[in-house]
Amino acid sequence: MQKKLTERKTIHISHATSQQLNGLVFLLPWIIGFLLFFLTPIINTIIYSFNEVGVADAGGMSFKYVGLENYINLFTTEVSSKSQQFLRVLIDENTNIFVNTPLIVLFSLFSAILVNMNFKGRGIVRVIFFMPIVLGLKVVVNLTMVSTGGDILEASLSSAFDDQMVIGFLTSYTFLPREVMVFIVGIVNNIFQVISQAGVQTLIFLAGLQSINPSLYEVAKIEGATPYEVFWKITLPILSNITLFAFVYTFVDLFLASSISSEIFRFAFNRNNIGIGSALSVVYMINVLIDLGLLLLILSKVVKLGYENK
Amino acid sequence: MKINKVTSVIIEKWNDNSITDVFTTRRKIVNLVNSIFLMSLIIGLCFAILYPLIKLIPIVFNDVEDLGNPDVVWVPIKYSIISFKAAKRLVFGNGVTMLQSLLYSAVIAVIQIFVCAMAGYVLGRIKFKGNKIIMFLVILTFIVPPQSLLISQYLRFKQFDIFGIIKAMTGSPVDLINKPYTLYILSFFGFGVKQSLFVYIFRQFFKGLPGELEEAAMIDGCGFYQTYFRVALPNAVPAIMTVAILSFVWNYGDTYYTGYFNPEGPYLSIALTNTFMSSNVQNVLKALQTWYDKPGVTTLAFDAVKQAAALIYLIPLLVVYFLVQKKFVENFERSGIVG
Repeated sequence: MQKKLTERKTIHISHATSQQLNGLVFLLPWIIGFLLFFLTPIINTIIYSFNEVGVADAGGMSFKYVGLENYINLFTTEVSSKSQQFLRVLIDENTNIFVNTPLIVLFSLFSAILVNMNFKGRGIVRVIFFMPIVLGLKVVVNLTMVSTGGDILEASLSSAFDDQMVIGFLTSYTFLPREVMVFIVGIVNNIFQVISQAGVQTLIFLAGLQSINPSLYEVAKIEGATPYEVFWKITLPILSNITLFAFVYTFVDLFLASSISSEIFRFAFNRNNIGIGSALSVVYMINVLIDLGLLLLILSKVVKLGYENK
Repeated sequence: MKINKVTSVIIEKWNDNSITDVFTTRRKIVNLVNSIFLMSLIIGLCFAILYPLIKLIPIVFNDVEDLGNPDVVWVPIKYSIISFKAAKRLVFGNGVTMLQSLLYSAVIAVIQIFVCAMAGYVLGRIKFKGNKIIMFLVILTFIVPPQSLLISQYLRFKQFDIFGIIKAMTGSPVDLINKPYTLYILSFFGFGVKQSLFVYIFRQFFKGLPGELEEAAMIDGCGFYQTYFRVALPNAVPAIMTVAILSFVWNYGDTYYTGYFNPEGPYLSIALTNTFMSSNVQNVLKALQTWYDKPGVTTLAFDAVKQAAALIYLIPLLVVYFLVQKKFVENFERSGIVG
């Protein structure tokens, strides 16, 4: 009996350690990957960005420390493949992303609420609403786009619905200033980009909506809450974490789709200027992180986030 | 409010016809108006989502010489499948590339599920010291765009070496660019297409899974690995489905990793992008003119061929999507995405 107890104890001690060891085994691929394909590349990129990188005689790389010269050159002398200043490119990308992110998140929340309702043919509608996961692939979007000449369909449509006419019509019948109308019409024209990016976020929101306990809605109904109140007091607070996730996801996704990656590759390998390409990479990375911090700051002011659940 | 006004007017008129049950009628009308509004909204949105596809149909079935004819917008005068034939001859050939691409995406999806499920299980389930730090790192790797690591990763693969071991063994570092297994290596170590997201999904899923099953398995004498493979993983089917379809679709459509790390590999996405580059318009038109004896083709025909190629490219994705949509679309409250 005594012997058995001690045996059990040794097993018990090794359980915690074995849990730790087994966990480590399961995580090992990811940790190795993190070291090899994330941490060292980041450090190397930062090193490259402060150096003039050349090819040494032995076949390796030679470095010459140049300080901030790469960064200064990037913003003063170098231009993108569309011969724009890089400051300009970055500003364009950022405005684009800050305008589109809330639109995409709102649209996906809206469509998730729609497909969460009960109606006939919901299955088919859901299938269609998640199609953007497939149709929004960059390759597909590029291929289905009309690249040359005119799109005869677009032409016939736009002659029927002239932008300027719509803007004029709306400004004369609403009290909104013309600039706001131009902005809104621009957004509506942009609807296909918004839709094509919204597939995964709709999925995220639908999963979130389905995780809400239905008894909450029943209580609200009994207490006499209007649908409006139900949305603002129940649905949105519960979805706040998911909203945050959707925002971050959209943000990252839009940055991924930006044209910067081809610029980085062009600098580094077509023009053999690894230093400036690395400087651009670092600028880009810092840009994303700052934007994300800004976004979280804004969101934490607007939505009360339940961090404890994260 | 407006709807209420309208209905009250209607109800007044109905009352004149001596219908007494005002409240039922009113509710019926409000419901009817609401559902008509909802239906038109849903149908409109469905149309907007499918519009890029619908818009292609008349173009690709049109005779290539009829494109640009203002009389032909939605209904072709002469039907032809020359665009498809040309697309097949230009890109798809005998279909081997497509099979290879599909196989590649499937294999990568399996690798990603395997690795991410393991990592997610430990992060969400096991009392592992350093869980929080690693979770933070996962989110960090998700946030930092891979483009900013492109140069350094490329150079690393160009002269691949792990702490000088390979150089010591073979004399020189290996060049992994343009090797088919490079991308498998990348996914195996957790840095394939959006792989941090998949780790996150699995982590959330396993965190939400009730622990009793595993406790029971432990008590019944299952070890760590048995518990994972016999209990945890079979219960993770919703998360696996979600990750599988996302991974498959994204890898099939990926041009970033395939394009930079294995540009000469047999990937359909790369082949399509290269064939239909804007600098390639004249070549494609020339091909149309000589192969199918269509001297009158314009650049619009280039678009038609391109869009026919896009449709062919989409077919396997749509088939897979429709096959799994039942599992994917219904009952995924426990698919692990919920935070």
